[in-house]
Amino acid sequence: MRITVNGTAHELASAPLTPLLHVLREELHITSPKAGCQQGSCGTCTVIVDGEARRSCLLPVAAVDGAHITTLEGIGTPDALSPLQAAFLEKAAAQCGFCTPGFVTAATALLAENATPSRGEIREALSGHYCRCTGYVKILEAVEAVAGRAL
Amino acid sequence: MKSVGASLPKYDGIGHVTGTTVYVDDVPTPNGTLWAKALRSPAHRANIKRIDYTKAAALPGVHAIVTHEDIPVNTYGHLSGLGVPADEPLLAESELRYLGQPIALVVAESEAIAAEAVAAITLELEELEPLFDIRKAWDPGAPQIHQWGNWYTQFEGGLDRRQIRKGDVDAAFDRADLIVEGVYRPQAIEHVPMETQVCLVVPEPSGKLVIHSCTQAMYFSMGVVAAHLQLPLNKLKFVGGTVGGGFGGKVDTATETLCAVAARKARRPVKWRWTREEEFLVSSTRAPWHVEIADAVSKDGWILGRKMLTLHDSGAYARFSPYGLTKHSFHHTGAYTIPNLRFDGYVVFSNRVPTTAMRGFGVTSVSYSTEIHLQRIAHELKIDPYEIRLKNANRIGDTTGNGVVITDPSTVSTIQMVAEAAGDELKGDYRTMTSAMRTGDLLPEHLVGQLGNPEDH
Repeated sequence: MRITVNGTAHELASAPLTPLLHVLREELHITSPKAGCQQGSCGTCTVIVDGEARRSCLLPVAAVDGAHITTLEGIGTPDALSPLQAAFLEKAAAQCGFCTPGFVTAATALLAENATPSRGEIREALSGHYCRCTGYVKILEAVEAVAGRAL
Repeated sequence: MKSVGASLPKYDGIGHVTGTTVYVDDVPTPNGTLWAKALRSPAHRANIKRIDYTKAAALPGVHAIVTHEDIPVNTYGHLSGLGVPADEPLLAESELRYLGQPIALVVAESEAIAAEAVAAITLELEELEPLFDIRKAWDPGAPQIHQWGNWYTQFEGGLDRRQIRKGDVDAAFDRADLIVEGVYRPQAIEHVPMETQVCLVVPEPSGKLVIHSCTQAMYFSMGVVAAHLQLPLNKLKFVGGTVGGGFGGKVDTATETLCAVAARKARRPVKWRWTREEEFLVSSTRAPWHVEIADAVSKDGWILGRKMLTLHDSGAYARFSPYGLTKHSFHHTGAYTIPNLRFDGYVVFSNRVPTTAMRGFGVTSVSYSTEIHLQRIAHELKIDPYEIRLKNANRIGDTTGNGVVITDPSTVSTIQMVAEAAGDELKGDYRTMTSAMRTGDLLPEHLVGQLGNPEDH
């Protein structure tokens, strides 16, 4: 099996039913997707698979053979933040940071589909993501701040 | 002073938004790292009759099984440093006091092998009747779940309760126009940090242990590990400060000590990460509380006296509960001053998971209870809920139940801001009143002399 992660192609050694999350974290040492619940409930393992936000903890790697995957590391770097990452930083939308990978990847996928989402559409897109620190308001404000701007 | 009043970027935010912050589970594991899984009590309360580790130990890939016999000091208390007697074994010896209590830790080549080994351990129990309802702890014939009985008996002065006495509460109740009673039961809450408990311990050839920890309390956890292992602090190198959510639930030292014992026994790095199920079932929670309040009030809304009984469900062991109850007691009049008080609070044991700190440890339970109670009094007296709060608000020079003279209270200004934000008009003097020291006694003129002067007691 072969996947492309953040622009780099990888031949995989993991068994076909290994969750994509474990392939990313344990085999490829790409650690931004987190193991929050490993039941598809919390959203912090979310990555973008061929343009779609998916839960990597429930996704057997065989199901994404050949796919292009973007993790939070691939969206922007400390030296070159994406506008959404910059907004998360500026609006204090990341507190402990453990849920942030899921929120930023899911919101990035949303904005790529719909550049001017309403607050309702943002809420719906992020509804499967838990944040225990911020109370969500700052996260919604960060996404709204870049809605309508180039990603 | 450049930072005061300035809006600064969050110091670790750049790592969080780019996925480059390294949490404990992201730390690369050294070659040869072993994985831990715990054998946990399947019963709420039981005596261990027999444990057989033979099959588990013989499984290929199993490197060590840690039991209480491997721990230099197995029983240590989280507040031992403050004189609270030790009561909690790190690994159970003969008696199990809550569902999920750890009995042994298996370390193996993988998490899967460790889990298989745990399942291969034979455990025979004599199940005992558990105690879940702390109100029944005093019943004749109630299960006796702890070496001290069913409640903590080690408060200062040899007391089995945290008590506060101020003024003459009986006189206040004799002279009250109305006595308003209420019972409040704030329930347990799980912290649910996004990051479950996780630890990696790497032994160095010098004997030093490098402990990657998600604790909220680094130096405290160092002390706990050092006490259990009987090691000097210079043998422990804690690496931490990056916490994927804690909210009080990572103040207890949950994984570091056992991981360290296992790493020393196996002479290999050991990693232990809890599943979400373990986090929900076994990690400590905010305590459930039982709060009874009786207030002696005058018909114009002065609270003349308060009697209060609090039962704090500590779960199976004391941990920080005596401290939480103490904070609760200090706040038992809320943001208000009441001249005559009788407070009794007990830390009660049950066969639930041990409870611990959570955002406003001990205080949210009392704020919840006392604010609802104030609302109830206002309703019964048919007076404005703002008025009863402003009337009884802390003022400069007032003395709290535990004897602190208040110098900078904010109750009055806070209530006024709340009214403004809610669009409610305050009546007359309540709009303009300040926290300035009361003239004369704490009580208004017509009540002075009717009640014992608190200063006389």
